[in-house]
Amino acid sequence: MTDTTTTPAYSETPEEREFELRASIGSYWTGGRLFIGMFTFLLASEAFAYFYLRSSNSGQLWRPRNVTAPTGIGWSIYAVVLVSSVLVIYGQWRMRRGSVIDWEVAGWTAVLGGLVALGLQIWQLTQLPFYPGSSGYASCFIGWAVMNIMMLFGATFWIETVLARSLRLRKVAADDGPVQLGGSPQAQIFRANVSACTYFWGFVAVASTLFWVMFYLI
Amino acid sequence: MTISAERESEVAYPDPTPPHAGGIQGWTSRPGWLSQHLGTAIVGAVAGYLIGHWLGNVIASGYNYVANSGVNAIANTGGLLLGALGWLIGIGALNYPLAKMVGMEPAPEQETTSWTRYFRYTADHKVVGLQYVIGVLLFLFTGGLLAMAIRTELLSPTSHVFGPGTYISIVSEHGTMMMMMATSAVVGPLGNWLVPIMIGARRTAFPRIEAFSFWIFSAGYLVILTALPYGGFPTGWTGYAPLQTQASGGMMSYLVGFALIGSGMMAAGFNLAVTIVNYRAPGMTWSRVPIFVWSILATCALLTLATPTLVAAGLFGILDHTAQTAFYVNEHGGSSYLWENLFWFFGHPEVYIMALPGFGIVGEILPVFTRKPLFAYKVAAAGMVGVALLSFFVWQHHLFQSGINPDMRPLFMLTTELISIPTGFIFLVGMGTLYKAKIRFEVPMLFALALFFNFLIGGVTGVFLSDVPVNVTVHGGFFVLSHFHYTIMGGLIFALFGGLYFWLPKMTGKTMNKKLGQIHFWMMFIFFNLTFFPMFIIGLLGQPRRVFEYQQNLQALNDFSSVSAFILGSSFLVFIANFAWSIFIKPTPAPPNPWNSLGLEWQTASPVPYYNFERIPVVLTDPYRYGEEGAPPVADLGEELVGAGAGPRAGTSTGETSATSAE
Ligand code: HEM
Ligand SMILES: [Cu+2]
Repeated sequence: MTDTTTTPAYSETPEEREFELRASIGSYWTGGRLFIGMFTFLLASEAFAYFYLRSSNSGQLWRPRNVTAPTGIGWSIYAVVLVSSVLVIYGQWRMRRGSVIDWEVAGWTAVLGGLVALGLQIWQLTQLPFYPGSSGYASCFIGWAVMNIMMLFGATFWIETVLARSLRLRKVAADDGPVQLGGSPQAQIFRANVSACTYFWGFVAVASTLFWVMFYLI
Repeated sequence: MTISAERESEVAYPDPTPPHAGGIQGWTSRPGWLSQHLGTAIVGAVAGYLIGHWLGNVIASGYNYVANSGVNAIANTGGLLLGALGWLIGIGALNYPLAKMVGMEPAPEQETTSWTRYFRYTADHKVVGLQYVIGVLLFLFTGGLLAMAIRTELLSPTSHVFGPGTYISIVSEHGTMMMMMATSAVVGPLGNWLVPIMIGARRTAFPRIEAFSFWIFSAGYLVILTALPYGGFPTGWTGYAPLQTQASGGMMSYLVGFALIGSGMMAAGFNLAVTIVNYRAPGMTWSRVPIFVWSILATCALLTLATPTLVAAGLFGILDHTAQTAFYVNEHGGSSYLWENLFWFFGHPEVYIMALPGFGIVGEILPVFTRKPLFAYKVAAAGMVGVALLSFFVWQHHLFQSGINPDMRPLFMLTTELISIPTGFIFLVGMGTLYKAKIRFEVPMLFALALFFNFLIGGVTGVFLSDVPVNVTVHGGFFVLSHFHYTIMGGLIFALFGGLYFWLPKMTGKTMNKKLGQIHFWMMFIFFNLTFFPMFIIGLLGQPRRVFEYQQNLQALNDFSSVSAFILGSSFLVFIANFAWSIFIKPTPAPPNPWNSLGLEWQTASPVPYYNFERIPVVLTDPYRYGEEGAPPVADLGEELVGAGAGPRAGTSTGETSATSAE
């Protein structure tokens, strides 16, 4: 096989490097927000299904006997997610004030929290006091559980990759200081990623609250 | 300080990008048969399908969702989902996310000029664009064969080629494939290839998400094909419940296939939207962005925000079939209207996903062949954004006859008629550009002009349809069918071919044969109209869609339409012959700028280097200043500076350019 591996003549002026840097930082910013927008529409579809079936109540089967998904597990999932989100946000706040270790501890705790919440969410599906097709509520609950798994998986994956990256960069960028604080392009891009990820965790907290109210409170 | 002075301190890297610490050399860029490519993707897909199917049978053996269908929906879905996953693993889509988990970033891709790069997962947006060209054409022609089958059946009102079940499966498969294809028909090939170059970028923001979009799109193609061996599905492309809930085998291919295509649409839209916002070259202000890029940006807004609703709706349908939830089952607390609403909340923005890029293409083609500036450029851009916004508020016009609250009808009639205003603006921009112009009738221009002819008919009949009293009589019939073929095929597909004739010389470096192009155009244009115009009459005379028998007195019109359709179908053979001949068999090299366009995409070197531009260009003006004495070049490409000191850019101050790039 003669798959060629020529090195392209590629060069950058300092000005171009600056441009690329700003573009990638901007991409994390825009991409993070757009990703939240996409997830909002996904979850809004679930919320629409919930309220649509609730108000049409076909065959009086929206929610017979006011069945509820296992509350103990449900409340625990919510609590764990909320604590994890708060930790991620607090961690970033500390990081910006120079406390790298606080961010790392908070972040890894959030990873753990995300995994616990994922496990609980899956376990809850095996403990339902109703059949999936027994009512509108039951169906919507299953739908939410699947979306919640997607959302928690995404959030946990994201924060984990950021933390893993910071560990790896610790070795190479030492002369610039820790990547969480340094001024190198790599460090700036890294922080843009952290910030987008933190934003997403904030979104997760808001969404979890709304659906917790919908499924367990009202 | 001037840019040229800055440029003297240029740094050359041995690698295409500054080296990343801890990078991984992706398997995809390792040469040879042992790396990942289409072959390993196929192996992965087959293995995944078998494992998923087996797992599904283990979980739920003997479980028939539909009595006596013999299809286990869980095994069926498991096979399709794991098959798609295996496809993605096989091509290497998961290497990068997994490497990220241990903190690695990919090392720069090694540039290769080998043809094998077209069979790989690659970060080069130009390769992805060409992969999409082949993917979209394959999709289109597969769906086209099914259309030939439909028209064959409709040759006679009573004697049949297919049984009723087979017929509806063919119609459903045709409609679904075409709609899936059309979502990405322009964004995929031309959007990915052109947008970065048109905005003066050296790359896209998330190249691996872009590659992902193509490979999941192609997985969707394979999955929707499986609907036929699974016995087809009876719902048409709209998948309405309760039929959806009762259907068996092939329905899962529809639901899973649409979910996959939807993920691809979101990924493609996400990457291009972020790229357009952040990677515009210095000087590429919003009022200089080419109209094609505006159309893609508006489309991306719809792709990213409307498509999640389709994915959610598909997820609920999959759960209904597998976990036995009751989202769409009226008798168990669900509602079939839930699907109808979710589907059309996505579905109407979707029709503009299939319209806006077409307008973007003709917006680029008209100025080149009239040698006039694009008329009222800002109105066109605003019209596109306006259409995109409004398209979220009209979906109920598809449900006028399905028992919605009658008081809601006037509202949605109004919003639907409102949306024809910005649509009309875009149309008038085209007319204004053509006004008093000396037109060069090259092949791309012919297609562009045809779009205006066809879309006029498609758009005006849309306004008829939005009128509730008219809608009562024509809903569910051939009139609607004809309306949307005039907009989608007459609009988007004509524009796509125009765009391919226009840009393929740049994309491939080869020229398409002009004679064959003209034959293709005239056959397609004439017989498209002869196929679909009679369908308006057929519809007004009362023939319903998706039914294989019809009134005796409609046979003449139907036969006329069918025969025209066969010729229309064969016009694509002319295209295929031209494509194969001019690009592969006897390639004729194309001049660097065959149409004499001012667009930035034509100014960079041919073939376009891996990083698009030797220097990031500094954009000086919009690309439509045709026929203007002393207009500046569209951009300063900086090459001449390498040895020669200050060129035309000497006057551009860095302060100005960095201000625009920081927007
Ligand atoms: C001037 C703008 C347009 C208006 C006012 C309009 C209006 C309508 C209305 C009211 C219907 C519902 C007909 C019925 O089922 O009773 C309809 C159907 C449809 N339109 Fe349009 N339309 C417009 C443009 C477009 C465009 C640009 C496209 C696609 C590129 C499109 C694609 C479709 C499709 C696919 C359907 C039928 C879906 C189905 O039932 O399978 N329309 N249109
Ligand atoms: Cu519509």
